[in-house]
Amino acid sequence: MNRFLSILFQSSLLLILAFIALPLVVVFAASVSPTAVISFNPSEWTMKWFGELTSSRWLDPFLLSVKLATIVTFLSGVLGLLAAYAVAYRKCPGHEAIMAFLLSPLAVPQIVKGLAIVLFLSSFGFYHLLGTAGLVMAHVVLTLPFVVRMIAGAMYNFDRRLDQAARILGATAFQRIRFILLPIIKPGLFSGMTFAFILSFNNIPLSVFLVRPGETTLPITVINHMEYSLDPVLAAVNVASLAFILAAIFLFERIGGFSTQIHGGSK
Amino acid sequence: MTSVESLSPPLPARRSLPHISQYLPLVPPAVVLLFVFAIPMGMMISLSFRASEGDAPTLYHYERFFGDGLMLAGLWRTALMSGLVAICVTVMAYPIAYYLARSRSRWRPVVFALAIAPELAGVVLRTYGWLVILEDHGAINATLMWAGILSEPLPLSKNLVGVVIGLTHVVLPFGVLSLLTSIQGIDPNLERAAQILGASRLSVIRRIILPLSIPGIVSSLLIAFTISASAYATPALLGGAGFKVLATMVYEQVLFYIDWPFAAVMAVVLLVMMLTIAFVGGRFEARLHKKLHI
Amino acid sequence: MSSIDIELVAVTKAYGANRVVDNVSLAIPTGEFVSILGPSGCGKTTTLNMIAGFAVPSTGDIRIRGKSQKDVPPEKRGIGMVFQNYALFPHMTIAENVGFGLKMKGRPAVEIQETVHNALRRVHLDGFERRYPKELSGGQQQRTALARAIAPEPSLLLLDEPLSNLDLKLREAMRVELKDIQEQLGMTFVYVTHDQDEAMAMSDRIVVMQHGVIAQAGRPVDIYEQPGSSFVADFIGKSNLLPIKSIRGDASGWSISVGSAGLVLTADAPDGIEKSAARYCCIRPEAIRLTVSEEDRSTPMNGLKGRLIRIVNLGAYLDCFIMLEDGSVLKSLVRSTRLPALAVNQTVFLSIEPVAVQILTH
Repeated sequence: MNRFLSILFQSSLLLILAFIALPLVVVFAASVSPTAVISFNPSEWTMKWFGELTSSRWLDPFLLSVKLATIVTFLSGVLGLLAAYAVAYRKCPGHEAIMAFLLSPLAVPQIVKGLAIVLFLSSFGFYHLLGTAGLVMAHVVLTLPFVVRMIAGAMYNFDRRLDQAARILGATAFQRIRFILLPIIKPGLFSGMTFAFILSFNNIPLSVFLVRPGETTLPITVINHMEYSLDPVLAAVNVASLAFILAAIFLFERIGGFSTQIHGGSK
Repeated sequence: MTSVESLSPPLPARRSLPHISQYLPLVPPAVVLLFVFAIPMGMMISLSFRASEGDAPTLYHYERFFGDGLMLAGLWRTALMSGLVAICVTVMAYPIAYYLARSRSRWRPVVFALAIAPELAGVVLRTYGWLVILEDHGAINATLMWAGILSEPLPLSKNLVGVVIGLTHVVLPFGVLSLLTSIQGIDPNLERAAQILGASRLSVIRRIILPLSIPGIVSSLLIAFTISASAYATPALLGGAGFKVLATMVYEQVLFYIDWPFAAVMAVVLLVMMLTIAFVGGRFEARLHKKLHI
Repeated sequence: MSSIDIELVAVTKAYGANRVVDNVSLAIPTGEFVSILGPSGCGKTTTLNMIAGFAVPSTGDIRIRGKSQKDVPPEKRGIGMVFQNYALFPHMTIAENVGFGLKMKGRPAVEIQETVHNALRRVHLDGFERRYPKELSGGQQQRTALARAIAPEPSLLLLDEPLSNLDLKLREAMRVELKDIQEQLGMTFVYVTHDQDEAMAMSDRIVVMQHGVIAQAGRPVDIYEQPGSSFVADFIGKSNLLPIKSIRGDASGWSISVGSAGLVLTADAPDGIEKSAARYCCIRPEAIRLTVSEEDRSTPMNGLKGRLIRIVNLGAYLDCFIMLEDGSVLKSLVRSTRLPALAVNQTVFLSIEPVAVQILTH
């Protein structure tokens, strides 16, 4: 009986993993297939679809998405750091209520947030802010709670005694922030920023109301295209996006050093 | 030896920072959230209570929404879809989470990456993949028809089935993470203690693991439900034009009908639905912990 | 004639190239309280896990009551185990916890209820049936874990450092209780610990492990008085270890040159150790007699002179550190009542009975 259960468990696991892998495998294959019919024959594979990615049709939205994600990541990082410092490190009076306010956007669905922002902008006549500016604002609201939560986590785990030791050795508040606090929470900060980057780059529901012709993000360009056809180019776009995201994560990890948080510690 | 009285009087206590400067770092983030979130949300909610901008408060559009069969069908469809996805996600996430929590094999990082990484690929990539697989001329139908099993394509896309499959795939990583945290919290020695006391594997699962992971299961169901109910891209693409859920209905109202107060109503309905589930779910989870004495 | 309850036959457990347990053989007779003692990483917990069935030996066999346990899963071995962190099922009452083993055996509810009641009474927890583990103190949880393990009347009991999470007073009280229960039940107990006081106080036999092998096994008093190696000498009790330079003498006695300044000790000739193999002299601190005047020496043998460089007051005893002429330092255990007569930097005189000078080969 035990053996049967064990086999049942292992096969279910494999089936589920196959389910997860299936669409990914299909997209990879489609991106290198010569025609719209997917080919799993490596000798037929071609990179021609990737060649089309340099056209402005794809390049412009890609660059916008990158620009957007970079600005949003930076802003969220700075704002998140400020917020977490006051609430999680200094624990100012009322910090619990303030933290709840800072995290409140998490409770609101993205499509609702997007609607509220577009209504707000248009009712004040700020139509010119639609497009990049509106997207930046909206994405910051989207990512900020996540970033705050991740940095706050690092700050809650921060050992106060390190700060006390630095104080006894004569360091001022700014010196302690610069030489003790920031370096130690750097992994938390960078994992938060990485999360913000991915969230912004891949985002759809929040952005659908805020894009403009000529100023759209890459994911929205892709889904607009998908409504007409399942062009293999789209597969190539998707694969290239994924490669880009992975490269970005790698880069963030290099700078921020948060891989131990994924593996769960050094031991 | 000097006497105590000859010591000078104690120095005055160091002046502590005035309260205000503690809050200074909060000003930029708070201002951003105020102007880009709180105020717009307030305005949107207010708009839902007006016939059109600038009018007096009225329940007109709410009555419109709840009186319209199509709208209510959309609401029901949202709930149904989310419920099905929640169940599928939790059932599929459980074995993965258990494996990740207990296994020490060298394949563990691979399984972990496979369970979480699709999230990095984005909704679009995965939805595109599923469309290609589930379409009428897609991989499944093409194979089954070529093998002679079907004479007509099985409608696996542009309907509830396709959306549930696609959304399950999208939401699965969240279910796994949620269950993983919960199962990791179960002391592995409990399973060993049960074993040494004579429990078969089935008994260990039934009497120890499942009861103690109920809070994790509930948490996974809630997270999966809320993410699905707010989902836009997957229902839009895999559900087709006829498959309306709240998120796609809002989109429609804004960009096609340009009926903003009505869109606001739907948004509020969606929001209230989310908040209610989160609140009720939270209370239920707390009661579960008490009932399980953990 | 007592039968052998547990037998380990050349058991090895290797993870890759690392041999956590290396060719260990052991026979434990019925009714014995045996402790497996050693520092962290010595392989004692792995050994216990293999007896329980949670780890499988890489080579070798484990037999319980003569029957090989190869391919026998833990739930079929009919043995009991008390875990270090108790592992009480948090979602079950104390009664449900203690009755779990019987429930798995399919015993009728009435019988279970009575057995649970008796088991709880034995550990002095009557009345606790309806409570939940998280409501109990550490000591109470520990006793519940014990009751749960013995309720199904297993053939033997494994205990994995069960007292390590309790504070000192409670630990000492529990040692007595555990030993009592073991004697009442007549059950074999295999007890893993790193605390040598515990092992000494409770065991019929101690098995000392180091780096996956058995360093020495025997009765507590034998291991204490005749340690087989410097590791065991230092792990059990405290000892003064002096490297041997050369030996003269015969079966009536040895004259051993230790240290660098011509210090010579007289010892009884040990059985079975060649002069060439002897490496260390081991002397227990309590065997070094300390006096303030030369005439008061209790024995003329092994008379040494030194300077008292430090006194550590342990309450009932003093740890005295004496530096000899050649610079080596010996530790002597002395009753605290003698404190008024002692002072740092004082010249003191030591004497050691020859029989207290242990010879070690490694």
